[in-house]
Amino acid sequence: MRAARAQAHSLRFELEGGGLALLEPSHDVPLVSLVVALRTGSASDPEDKSGLARIATRMLRRGCEGLVAEQIDFRIDVLGAEMAVETSPSTVAIHAQVIARNLDALVELLARMLSTPTFPEDELGRLKRETVSEIVEARDSDRVIAQKAMQRTLFAGHPYGRNAGGTTGSVPRVDRSDVVAFFKRHVVRGNIVVALAGDVTADRVPALAARLLAGVPHGSVGIDEVLEPTMPSGRRLVLVDKPERTQTQILLGTLGTSPHDEDHVPLLVANAIFGGTFTSRLMKEIRSKRGWSYGASARASIDRRRQAWILWTFPAAQDVGPCLKLSIELLEQWVAGGVTAREVSFIQRYLARSHAFDVDTATKRLHQTLDVDLLGLPPDYFNGWVAHVRAVTAETASAAVKKRIDAERLLAVVVGTAAEVLEPLRSAVPSLSEVVVVPFDAE
Amino acid sequence: MPREKKRRAWAEEINASAAGGGATLTFDGTQAFGNEALHLWRLGNGLTVLVLVDSAAPVVAYHTWFSVGSRHERPGKTGLAHLFEHLMFGETESLGAGVFDRKLEESGAETNAATWVDWTYYHELLPADRVKLAVKLEAERMHRLVLREPQVASEKEVVANERRFRVDDDVEGLANELLYKTAFQEHPYRWPTIGWMQDIQGFTPEDCVDFYRTYYAPNNATVVVVGDVRERDLLLAIRDAYGAIPSQPIPPEDVAPEPIQTEERRAELRKPSASDKLLIAFKGPALGDADHALLTMLSEVLFGGRASRLYRSLVVDRELAIDVRGWVSTFRDPGLFECWVTARESRTATEILPVIDEAFSRVRADVVGEDELARAKARLELGSLQQLETAAGKAEQIGFFEVVLGEPAHPFRRVDAFRRATTADLRRVARRYLVDGARTVLRVTPERLSTPAEAAQ
Repeated sequence: MRAARAQAHSLRFELEGGGLALLEPSHDVPLVSLVVALRTGSASDPEDKSGLARIATRMLRRGCEGLVAEQIDFRIDVLGAEMAVETSPSTVAIHAQVIARNLDALVELLARMLSTPTFPEDELGRLKRETVSEIVEARDSDRVIAQKAMQRTLFAGHPYGRNAGGTTGSVPRVDRSDVVAFFKRHVVRGNIVVALAGDVTADRVPALAARLLAGVPHGSVGIDEVLEPTMPSGRRLVLVDKPERTQTQILLGTLGTSPHDEDHVPLLVANAIFGGTFTSRLMKEIRSKRGWSYGASARASIDRRRQAWILWTFPAAQDVGPCLKLSIELLEQWVAGGVTAREVSFIQRYLARSHAFDVDTATKRLHQTLDVDLLGLPPDYFNGWVAHVRAVTAETASAAVKKRIDAERLLAVVVGTAAEVLEPLRSAVPSLSEVVVVPFDAE
Repeated sequence: MPREKKRRAWAEEINASAAGGGATLTFDGTQAFGNEALHLWRLGNGLTVLVLVDSAAPVVAYHTWFSVGSRHERPGKTGLAHLFEHLMFGETESLGAGVFDRKLEESGAETNAATWVDWTYYHELLPADRVKLAVKLEAERMHRLVLREPQVASEKEVVANERRFRVDDDVEGLANELLYKTAFQEHPYRWPTIGWMQDIQGFTPEDCVDFYRTYYAPNNATVVVVGDVRERDLLLAIRDAYGAIPSQPIPPEDVAPEPIQTEERRAELRKPSASDKLLIAFKGPALGDADHALLTMLSEVLFGGRASRLYRSLVVDRELAIDVRGWVSTFRDPGLFECWVTARESRTATEILPVIDEAFSRVRADVVGEDELARAKARLELGSLQQLETAAGKAEQIGFFEVVLGEPAHPFRRVDAFRRATTADLRRVARRYLVDGARTVLRVTPERLSTPAEAAQ
């Protein structure tokens, strides 16, 4: 019988030149996941060129010595592999998965892409046009529109307010010299983490990582530290106007928590009670009792600095006023009244027992180890999670909400048809200090 | 003791125990599921139980599949199968409102459900030591659900909101609904699984009770368990919980076969959207047809990934589109081969259609390259393996293929079919299914590109 894994204990390999390799082995399925991550993300993008980190990394598969983009795409496919770029404020990474028998061939291809990228001018032009079209196309999703409006307004003026994918204005400003400069500065061994999960043994990792980074120059990059975000006082409403909406998207946001806060886990426990499960307060009041929305939830994101706390629900247009009003009342009650011992006891059982699903595949365990490294999380952030959750009390959870969540510094973002929903929204938010209506294609 | 013999001995021991309402547990044998063993069991009341012991992680996936989907509805009552996906999380004779979810959450479990044209399934993912809770709760709601006015009224409202979210305010959802409504004229695949809005709003508790009594029965269900379980203990619990539930006569299916389409049908949708969308649908084979795997491979050659023919042509070379997709519907009866193209802003479906037509002509006229075939095979092999990475993934594959085809290990036969496919096979299915005079073409045209917000200020 194979040993079941209950925690991430990734094997670590220090690489020549300062790089790091990680491994979470699992031989259940003949697949290998491979991540090549930089300790640099979209927070480092120049203010007028948001999207640079993502574009520069996507350019990897647009040409390298001896291979044009079409040949690279074909090789990836014929190896039974897939490859994508993911970007966050603190990291940009290539995520690949391949049928295990072709791992060496994929590493060979990736090594070539990393060491001899050609950044063809015509391919960069094509990628920029493609990216702009993707941004425009994403406007079909009301949820995406709401999320982008929340991000840029909540973190206005802060790097967390920049969209990792860029905007239709910023992407065309990226030129080849920006891409080359990004690579020169950030694609150096000391700035790279290579991570493998799946059907590969530990004895192969040093050679695979060495091959992968063979052509990557030595060097290191300091972390681009960003300042703590701040938020103006008062309650603001941003209505994103889109025609013919039968439904609305409501996001309520404020600043949340930093993983280094002493009350970080108590806040997450309290948030799970408020909006983290199917039986949470939000779901009970908005969906179960009133049937106003298919879903209602609240989430606290994490990064190197304090990130956002966001409530999300999506009622029909005719219910938007009462639903927003109720959401704010529930938030106020949560902040003022905290949570009960009974609620804490219930959610502790849920969080501790459901932890099994955070670590049930090698890829998930690997990503926990990667997050600890790339986001600078406390070393026991995930492996100590269950113990930290069990240590929370109603008092510490309630105090954390009161201290961290400010219901008076609140941003409501709603996507809907302004002619129908603006007035109900105005009257739904007590002490509303500012109302802005923007078109749905605003950036 | 050999495995099969040991399991027959288990069945005898379990049947000798007092619990279970006298239902007899029968061991129906073992099927290879890749390198693993899938054990087939049956209770006397008709409940099928499929167990795959997998100790890769201390978790268990518990799925209950019912052979009922939107194909079993009738006009005026569309969406009823999907409404049950909601109602089944409500009150039962021994569990108050909300208790089902609370009990599972308290055990750290995740639970949800899904409905489509041919089936409905309910799934729990639990820490392995909690599997008996799922057995108890699923057996309870299989025959003791409370369906009164307040429960039905509240869930109707939630489903109406789900419809607004997934269809009415979602261009893709709306287009997909219109595509099937246009392509099918007789078969129930012509109506959406979520149901038409006026049908959703018109359901009564009596409709729900009738539907529940007809289709929610052990002899219409398959329980699939994959995970780190002790199989004998699990079966004892299953017989105990389900054994007394009576089987019911399941009405013979009354589905009108879809007449052969002999003309091209066109439809247009004007909606606020960023760009033109073009959908082309040919009538495709049923999932159980040997051609299904081959047409899926042809779809990969044409639409799968950046190196596919139409991605290269429409997205990379001509820059007319931003996305292309192809999909052969995985339905029990013949469905569609859907081709979906999203134009770039300022480009039109009119420019795109001739390019696609030319690509279709080419695959009908000439065999695809051996390199293209190898690429499609590798991509499909990767996709097949990815579905087996977790206990939940395996349970979904087993349940889906059992309910649709009666072959729980079919995913591996499908991979074999992919491996055997030749370029001539792909040309044959291109000629058989990509028939220009018998397709449905749907165009989505943007109504307005931007809204001046000033009007509302």
